[in-house]
Amino acid sequence: MNTAKSKGLTLCPKCHKLNTLVSEHQRCSRCHGMFYQRKRNSLQYTLAWNIAALIAFIPANLYPIMIVYQLGVGSDATILSGIGEFIDHGLYPIAVIIFTASIIVPLLKIIGLFVLVYKAHTGIRLKPDKHSKFYHVLEFLGPWSMLDVFVVALMVTVVELGFVTSVAAGPAINYFTITVIFTMFAANSFDPRLLWDKKAAIQETLLSEKTPGTLPEGKG
Amino acid sequence: MNNNMNTSLFVACQQCDALYDKPQLKQGQLAKCNRCGSTLVERKVDSIERSFHWSLAGLILMLPAILLPIMGVTLAGQFHQASLFDCILVLIDRGFFMIACLVFLFAIAVPIVRLSGALYICYCFKFNRLKPSLLSFFRAYHHLDHWAMLNVFMLGIVVSMYKLLDDTELSINLGLLAFILWLICSTMSAAALDQDSIWDKLERAFPRSCDNEHC
Repeated sequence: MNTAKSKGLTLCPKCHKLNTLVSEHQRCSRCHGMFYQRKRNSLQYTLAWNIAALIAFIPANLYPIMIVYQLGVGSDATILSGIGEFIDHGLYPIAVIIFTASIIVPLLKIIGLFVLVYKAHTGIRLKPDKHSKFYHVLEFLGPWSMLDVFVVALMVTVVELGFVTSVAAGPAINYFTITVIFTMFAANSFDPRLLWDKKAAIQETLLSEKTPGTLPEGKG
Repeated sequence: MNNNMNTSLFVACQQCDALYDKPQLKQGQLAKCNRCGSTLVERKVDSIERSFHWSLAGLILMLPAILLPIMGVTLAGQFHQASLFDCILVLIDRGFFMIACLVFLFAIAVPIVRLSGALYICYCFKFNRLKPSLLSFFRAYHHLDHWAMLNVFMLGIVVSMYKLLDDTELSINLGLLAFILWLICSTMSAAALDQDSIWDKLERAFPRSCDNEHC
């Protein structure tokens, strides 16, 4: 399989125009934007954003995310205890949606990106076709974790009946948004082409090591 | 490697960098990458016209969607309703600056900028007013691709309605309808915009003027 890189070409990430590779850091002939052949230091950036997101995810779960004041008495709820309340009230569909959006998706993104970075770096059991699909799922899921933030924002605004009932946002909301935004940055800075590059590099070394009689079955 | 190789005869997959001859597509066809299955190039039907009208409709719907109250609650005889704009004001009033910023950015500012950007690009193409500044403009437009979260906000509205339904009396207002239509318009205007053909046309209109600039 020919790749643009092996032919000395490089693809502009913004306008998808093929350019002849001139230097590491070059200007697109069509949209005049500056770009690199691969996202620069992609794995390092992904790892860094990912760790930051993971750290922010801890206070996001420990602090209360929403405080409901009824007749002046406040009761606070963290993300998990809020989900517990839904289950107690029998609102299962909402419980499932919130649980997916605010616990499963961020964790899946963080863990998944760690795994992808690890695989792209070491090349152990790397299946680029499956892993790049997995990456697209992660990228698509990103914004949906903002759900909880929007729900809290709406509750604060709509349920504002003075002394009777009012809702306030807790400190966890800030940490939670930081988590979501950082995971989105992490996913954006990962370059799925590195997976294919690594696979091709591994196959090349395998081919040069083995005698022609015992070729490993090649892909693509 | 021939340095003068015509790069416009080839396309490369954005996801796995595989190189192909440029396919000749008819309107409505799309080409997929053999190796990773992502879309290589796509020619959308009637792209400029459709995107123009969707984004125009979206910009018209923007005002009611933001200013009309989305929903209201009645509890213990008191009634209170809120629009998207109230949402920002109340959040600022009560000191939640960060969520106020986020809601403003992701649910108001980015969708509006994207809609007006799409409208401006389509307007320029429709009436043949191409300018070199469109190159940077369209490039900047791509930066916002990930950050429009109207659909997430819509799900947020549904979830909080369901939540409020449990122990208050909930009323739905026209704002919700306008918001849904706005969401549809902005999604469709982004989906109808054919990036490949726009870039092709821009390239033909402004052939590279800076051959030696990239060193």
